[in-house]
Order: sequence, then structure tokens, then C-alpha cells
Amino acid sequence: MNENTDNAKTSNGQNSVPTGIKIQTINLNAWFAAKQALKDINLSIKANAVTAIIGPSGCGKSTFVRCLNRMHELVPGSRSSGKVLLDGQDIYSKEVDPVLIRRRVGMVFQKPNPFPTMSIHDNVAAGLRLTGLKKGKNLDDVIRHSLEQATLWDEVKDDLKKPGTSISGGQQQRLCIARAIALQPEVILMDEPCSALDPAATAKIEELIVTLKEDYTVVVVTHNMQQAARVSDFTAFLYVGELIEYGSTWSIFENPKSELTEKYITGRFG
Amino acid sequence: MSRLLDTGLEQLTAVLFKMGEVANRAINVAVQGFLEGEDVGDEVHELSELLVAMTVTAEDKAFELIVKYQPVASDLRIINSYMKIAYDMERYGRYAWDISFTHRKLAHCKECVQSSELMNKITEKTLQMVGTSIKALSDNDADTARTLAKTENEVDEIYSAYLDLLSKTPPKTKCLVCNLLVVRYLERIADHATYIGESIVYIATGEKLSLR
Repeated sequence: MNENTDNAKTSNGQNSVPTGIKIQTINLNAWFAAKQALKDINLSIKANAVTAIIGPSGCGKSTFVRCLNRMHELVPGSRSSGKVLLDGQDIYSKEVDPVLIRRRVGMVFQKPNPFPTMSIHDNVAAGLRLTGLKKGKNLDDVIRHSLEQATLWDEVKDDLKKPGTSISGGQQQRLCIARAIALQPEVILMDEPCSALDPAATAKIEELIVTLKEDYTVVVVTHNMQQAARVSDFTAFLYVGELIEYGSTWSIFENPKSELTEKYITGRFG
Repeated sequence: MSRLLDTGLEQLTAVLFKMGEVANRAINVAVQGFLEGEDVGDEVHELSELLVAMTVTAEDKAFELIVKYQPVASDLRIINSYMKIAYDMERYGRYAWDISFTHRKLAHCKECVQSSELMNKITEKTLQMVGTSIKALSDNDADTARTLAKTENEVDEIYSAYLDLLSKTPPKTKCLVCNLLVVRYLERIADHATYIGESIVYIATGEKLSLR
């Protein structure tokens, strides 16, 4: 499937993108050594919306989101081609610092991964300290705001000095979201953020995802069809590295256009 | 590989198909009784009550499947539409009973019917639509379902013609009112046949259209 990829350059050399689009991929390909994981993905991700990426194991979901903040290139032997435009700027152009891209496009992983030797407070502060915000009221304000946005503040405000690993799995995942939020990203990528959590913790993360789109653009990889239906505004279905179908979540889950999508979301394969 | 949901869908489908048989019989018995001047109210009432009970069964099964499997796409369309169709079938039964009840209360309907070409025409058209809606359901056939629109227009025209007749006759004409009531119920039955057709088009194609 190909979206319209006619992208003209603006006067400042950036690519023009349709209004309301935060990220646009153009003929995005990715490889692990000789194995191609993504094939000519053309997809526009809308700003301040939740986009779910669904598809069977090995279809390229995680590779796709890792290409959106240049984490894919950290894997030895990997490479990619095509463009990923963030607000019209190609994040793979030579003058772009990948570290800055990863600040603008944060990532939350499948398994909660707070830094094990750090307190709750320091986990949230870790990224900020690398940016030069060492300590003081400003740091504490950002930490509190991040924990509040991650709906964790009320649960941990009296235990900020306790290890980040001392709280429940669901709380740890929200701590990781707070850690990502602290860097004030524009986009938050979530790679199966609830797959290691119980239903109650999953429900809290899902509520959080829906809330976060007010301030961020959210991309969620999920194996859970109902979760995609619950939290996302748009859904993209990938299959063996190709984008099969993309559209509003309701249209995908009510009346998918592709027979392959229909078979996958109704559990007939995958 | 069969999914757990498939077993539940088969059970729901079986209830719907059975409702189709019962509804078809209820309407045919009621209409024939009316045309031939026989009181068939007891049988039709029993069939109507059976349809009410079967609607509850169908709704319970549909809700169970939604809760257990959170269906999407064609599965969701089937369950959603089958709930609507179950209600339509229940209404078939109810209108069949209304016809028999009217006939029972106004016992000289037979004489009225014998003089009415329009009545014979609308009963034929409506029974045809009921049969078509049930066949389209069992075959999951959107093309057959779409044909219901044309016949429904013809039924509506006959209903309209009856109203015209009524407007030209003196008031309190018993036979005409009796026939009008029956025609009204037949017209409602025809509407529900069309609703079923719409649901079948939606199941088969995802298209939400109005056949009315």
C-alpha cells in the first residue's frame, strides 16, 4: 500500500508535509544484515493522535518504530533507506544528530526497565541530568510534573527515594513513561508497553496513552487487537514488512478493506 | 483451525435460522387464516410468543460472544446485525398475531377480502418479501437482500392506495377499516423484511445503506 508521497521542498530546504502530520515515512526500507524487515513503507502519522501498529510476530512493527527515532541503526549489521520526516525534517540527513532525535522521539519498551541502581526520583532525573539540569527546584518541578503526567505521582510522592525497581510492574512502566516525558519529547513510541502487565496495570497504561495524546504524538506497537481498538485513533497493519492497510481505527476494526487485515484481526491467522 | 468464536457464531446463526422458519410460518398461517376466514389466532399467538423467547436467546448469545471474544470486523458485523434481525423476526411474529387478532375481533373480514384485489396483491407481495429476507439471511446473499427494496415500494403503493380508497368512502365503513388495519400490519412486515435486507448487505459488504 502506498500513500501519497509527493513531497515538495519548502524554501528552507525542509520537506512539506500535509497539515497535522507529525511523522511521515517515505519509501522506508530496513534490513538486518541481508534480511529485509521493512519494504517501502509510506505512512503519515498524525500529530496529537494515537497510532497503533499491529501485525503478526516478525512483521516489522518494532523495526518500524525503531526507525522513527534512529534506534534501528544501533543494531550491528542493520541499515535502512528512504526518508523519515519529523515535522518535515528528514531525521536521517547527515546534519541531524541522532541523540537529539531520540530526545524529540522518546521510547517506552515492552518490559519496564527502570535503572536498577537508581531511586524513583533519579530514574526520572537521569535523562534530564544528561541535558544539564542537575538539581534544584526546576529539576524537582520537572520530575513532579512528569510523574503527574504519567499518573504515578500520587502513588510514589512519599517514596521518591526508594529504588525504581521496588514498585509494581505497572508502576515501573509508568515510571519509564515519566522518564520519557521528562525530556519533553514531541513523540512517544511505545513497543508493546502492556505485554508484561496484569489487566489492572494495563488499564492504567491505556488510560494514560489516551491522555498523553493531548500533549504528544503517540505510536503504540501492540499484539492486542482490543487494546489497539480501545486506545488508538489510527491503525496500521503490517505483514511481512509491508504496510497492508492504514486508516481510522474504527474503519479498520469495523470493515477492513484488505482481506489479509480482516483475517488477522479476526484471529484467522497470526 | 476453528476459533472458539466460530462455535458461538454457529449457535447464534442456528437460533436466527430457526427464528426465520417460525416467523415465516407465523405470517403465512395468519395471512391464510385471514384470507380464508379461519380463526388461527391460537396457533399464531403461540408462534409469536416463541419468537419473543427466541429473541431473548439470540440476544443473550450475542452479548456472551461480545463479552467473551470482543469481536471485530465481519464477526462484529454479524453479531450486531443478527441482534437487529432477531428483533425484526420478533416483530414478524407480533404483526402476524395482530392480523389474527384483528380477524378474530372483526369476524366478517372474509367477505371484505373476497372483494379486494389489492388485498390479494399485498399479501402475495409481503409473503414474498418475508421469504426473500429469510432466504437472503440463510444464504448471506447481499444481492438477494437488495431486491427487497423494489417489492417494498410496491407494498407501500398498495398501502397508499388503501388510504386513498378510505378517503373516498363514507366514514365507519367496517370492512375497509378492517382491511386497512391488516394492510397496515402487512406494510410493517414488509418494512422489517427490508430492515433484514439492510442488515444482510451490511454483514456481507460492510455497506450501511437504506433500502427504504
